[in-house]
Amino acid sequence: MYNILICDDDRDIVSALDIYLSSEGYQTVKAYNGKEALKAVEQNNIHLILMDIMMPELDGIRTTAKLREGSNVPIILLTAKSEDADKILGLNIGADDYITKPFNPLEVIARVKSQLRRYTTLGGADKGPGLISVGPISMDDGAKQVTVDGEPVALTPIEYNILKLLLSHPGQVFSSSQIYEQVWNDPAYGSENTVAVHIRHLREKIEINPADPRYLKVVWGLGYKIEKGAN
Amino acid sequence: MGKLQESLVGKSVAVLLLLISAFCSGLFACRTFILLPMVNSSAWQYTTYFQTFLEQRQYQVVSYFSLTQDLEDPDLSYMDRRQLQDSLDQLKQTLDSQSTWFRYQVRSSDGSAVLASNLPDGTELNQVVPTVYYASFTPGESTLSHSVMVYEDYSTDTTISVYPEDITDVSSLPPVVIECGIDRNVDLSILDEFSLLANEYTSAEKNFPIYITLSAVSLGVWIIALLFFLWSSGHKAGHDGVILSWQDRIISEAYFLIIACLVALLLYGATLLADYFSIYLYNFYPMQNSDLWLFFAAAAVLVCLLSLILVLFLRTITVRLKAHSLAKTTLLCVIFSWIWRALRDFFLYLPLSWRTAVAFLGYLLIKALFPSLFGFYNPIPHAILNILVLLALCRWTVCLSRLRQGSQAIAAGNLNHQIDTSRMPHDLRALGEDINNISDGLAGAVNEKMKSERFKAELITNVSHDLKTPLTSIINYVNLLKTTQQTDPKAQEYIEVLDRKSQRLKKLTEDLVEASKASTGVLSVNREKIGMAQLIDQALGEWTEKLEERHLSVVSTIPEGETWVYADGRHLWRVIDNLLSNCAKYAMEGTRVYLDLVRGRGQVTLSVKNISREALNIPPERLMERFVRGDESRTTEGSGLGLSIARSLTELQGGTFELTVDGDLFKASVTLPQAN
Repeated sequence: MYNILICDDDRDIVSALDIYLSSEGYQTVKAYNGKEALKAVEQNNIHLILMDIMMPELDGIRTTAKLREGSNVPIILLTAKSEDADKILGLNIGADDYITKPFNPLEVIARVKSQLRRYTTLGGADKGPGLISVGPISMDDGAKQVTVDGEPVALTPIEYNILKLLLSHPGQVFSSSQIYEQVWNDPAYGSENTVAVHIRHLREKIEINPADPRYLKVVWGLGYKIEKGAN
Repeated sequence: MGKLQESLVGKSVAVLLLLISAFCSGLFACRTFILLPMVNSSAWQYTTYFQTFLEQRQYQVVSYFSLTQDLEDPDLSYMDRRQLQDSLDQLKQTLDSQSTWFRYQVRSSDGSAVLASNLPDGTELNQVVPTVYYASFTPGESTLSHSVMVYEDYSTDTTISVYPEDITDVSSLPPVVIECGIDRNVDLSILDEFSLLANEYTSAEKNFPIYITLSAVSLGVWIIALLFFLWSSGHKAGHDGVILSWQDRIISEAYFLIIACLVALLLYGATLLADYFSIYLYNFYPMQNSDLWLFFAAAAVLVCLLSLILVLFLRTITVRLKAHSLAKTTLLCVIFSWIWRALRDFFLYLPLSWRTAVAFLGYLLIKALFPSLFGFYNPIPHAILNILVLLALCRWTVCLSRLRQGSQAIAAGNLNHQIDTSRMPHDLRALGEDINNISDGLAGAVNEKMKSERFKAELITNVSHDLKTPLTSIINYVNLLKTTQQTDPKAQEYIEVLDRKSQRLKKLTEDLVEASKASTGVLSVNREKIGMAQLIDQALGEWTEKLEERHLSVVSTIPEGETWVYADGRHLWRVIDNLLSNCAKYAMEGTRVYLDLVRGRGQVTLSVKNISREALNIPPERLMERFVRGDESRTTEGSGLGLSIARSLTELQGGTFELTVDGDLFKASVTLPQAN
C-alpha cells in the first residue's frame, strides 16, 4: 500500500483529498505547512506528495527544493496560481506535476495513479526493437499497442498512425497538412481540419485532462507535437 | 584651518609682521638704492662721484694757477696780496701730496715746461698714476675744457679705452694743460675723498648683495603676511561666514577717495624727503655722515605707512569680495545695475513680438550711428556687429533645437528627461521650464498609473487565490456528497444543483480572473509568426462536434496558401475559442456559421458571422462589456465575459476587435497585422 502525504493550509481541502485517496485504498499522512511536510517525510515512508504552493511557514516551492535535496519521491503541486511562470518554476525546482485549483478530484486521482505507476513500476522500462517511448507513452509497433503509464489505450488506425508520426519525432511541430500528407498518403486539399478532429480524439484518449494536454501539445497556429521531455 | 582663520592672535602677529617687514624692506631698499650708482660701475674710478671729485680738484688747480698769476701782478695792494696769498697757501695745502692722493702737473701749451705740480721730486706722473686725465684751460679764465685722455695702465697690462678718440685740432685747445690722476697706491693712510671713495666702493661691493637679499626676504615676509591677513580677514571667532566691519560698509568710492588722498599725501612727503636728501645723493661726503640714518628711517617709515594703507585697501576689497558686497557697496555699480534692471524689466515686460521689433530697431540705430563714430567707409564695425547678431541668433536657434530635442525625447516616452534650461535666453528658458514641468507631471501620472496597475495585478492574484481555495473545497465536498447514498430523491436533486452551480462558479471565477488579467495587460504576450489557416483548422477540429450537436454547419472561406500574422498563439487561440464558443452558445440551431479570412493592406481580418437565437436588441458596444449577454434572462451557461476577454486579448496583441449587429446577424471581426 502506498503512503501519500497531503499538504495544504486549508484543512477542508486536505480532508476532502484524504477521503478520495482513502477510498482509492491509499494510506494518507496530513500536513498543514511546509515544515510539517518535511517532518512527515522524515517520519514516514512516503510514496507521493500532494502539496499546495501558497502555505504559511514554508511555501510549496521551497519545500519541494528541500525535499529534492535527498529524495526522489513524486511531488504534485496544487496551486491557485495559474500563471505559466509559477508552473514553470514549480516544475523546474523538482516537482513532477501540477494541478491548478479549483481541481476535479477525479483528475487528482488519475494523476496520483499515473505518478505512482511511473515511480514504482515503470522506473526502468527497457526498450525492445520497434518500441518507441516518450515520457509515459510507449508504443510497441510490432504489437500495434500503445500504453500510457502502463495502461493500454485503444486507438483507431488513423489515430495510431498520427501518434506514431509524432512519437518518432518528439519535439518536432507538424502542421495539419504535413500530418495529413504523411498519414493519409494523399495531398492535402482543405481536408486539414479532419486532422484536428482526430488529434482531439487522440488527446482525449491519452491525456488525463484533454483541455490542458501534457504530452500531445497543440502549438496554436503552427501545428502539433509530442513534448520531448514530457513527464 | 578654520581656527587659524578666526584666531585673533594670528591676525595680530600678521599685522606686526606686516609692519616690521614693511619697515625692513623700506630700510634695506633705500640702502640698496643708495649703493646702486657704486655697484653699477665696474671700478671706483668710473663712478660719477669720482668724476665729480676729479673735476673739483681740477678747478682747484685752475684756481691755484690763476691765483699764482694774480699774485704776479705788481699793482696789487698789500691787503689783496695777503688775502690772495692766504688763499693760495690754503689751496697749496689742499693740493699737497701729503694731504691728497690727487697728482697733477700743469704744462704749457707746447708741453715743454712744467708750470706747477704736486708730484714728489724725481717722479714722473705716468709712473705714479695708472690713468692720466687731461684738461686744458686758458689762464685767467675759470672754465675747463676737458679732454680726458688716458694713458695705458702699465701696472696691469690692460689697455683702457681712450676718449675722445683723437684730438685732431690741437690748436683749438686752450693753451695750458692739466695732466692729473690718482696715485695708484691709494689707501686710508691719507684721508681724502678718493681714498674714502675707494674704501666705500669696496664695502659697497661687499654690502650690496646683503642689502638686496635682506630687502627681498622682508618683501617675501610682507607678501606672506599680507596673504595670510587677507585670507583671515572677515572671519571672526564664534561667527560663521564673513563679518563686515564698519569700514567694509562705507561706500567704496568714498573709501577709495580717502585712500587715494592718503597715498597722495604720503607721496608728497616722499618727494619732500627726496628733495631734502637729494643733495646727499649727488655729493659723496655725506655717505660718511652718520646723519644719514635719519633719511633711512624716514624712508622706511614712509614705506611702512604706504604698505599699511595698501593693506587696509586690499583688506576691505577682499572682505567685500568674500561677502559678495563689493558691487552692492559701490555707488556706481548700484546705479548702473538699477538702470540696467529697470531697462531689462521694461524690455521683458513687452510682448515677444514688440521685443523683436525693439531689438531690430536697436540694431538699425546702432548701424546708423556707426558712420559718425567710425567714419563712412569703415566696414569693420558693421562686420563685427553683424557677426555678433549672427552669433546671438545662432545661440537662440541652438537653444530652440535643444528644446525641440528635449520635447521629442519626452514625446518618445522618456519622461525623466529634463531639458537643461540654464544659459538659455529668457523666453526659451520659460518654455523649457514649462516643458520640464509637463514632463514631471506626466512622469508622476505614469508612475501613479504603474503603481495602480501593479496593485491591480497583485489584487487579481490574491483574489483568485482566495476565491479558488474555498471553491476547491466546495467542488470536492459536492463530489463527495454525490458518492454518498442519499435515500431522499430530493437530496439527490439538490446535490445535482449544487454540483452544476459550483462548476459554473468555477468557470466564472476562471473567466473573471482571465478577463481582469487581459484587460489590465498583466498577461505576457509573445508575438510570433502564426498561420491563421492552420489555427482555424485546429479550432474547428476542437469545436466541430459541439457545433454539430447544435446542428450548426460551418462555412469557411480561407484564401489559398497560408496567411501569416504576428500574434501570440495561445492568446489568439483563446480569442477564436471564445468566438466559436459564443456561436455554440448563442447561435440559432440549424443555421450556418460563416468563417471568413481576408488579407490585404498588411492586415488580416477573421470574421465570424452567425444568426442569433435571441433578438439582439442591444448595441454591439454593450455586448463587449463585461457580464453582458445576448439573453437577458441569463439562463445560458456563459459568463458574459467571452467577448470582453476576446477584445482585450486581441488588443493586447496589437489587433482590433469589432462587433456588428444587423438584425439577428451577429458578426465579430478580429483584425491583426500581417506577417511577411
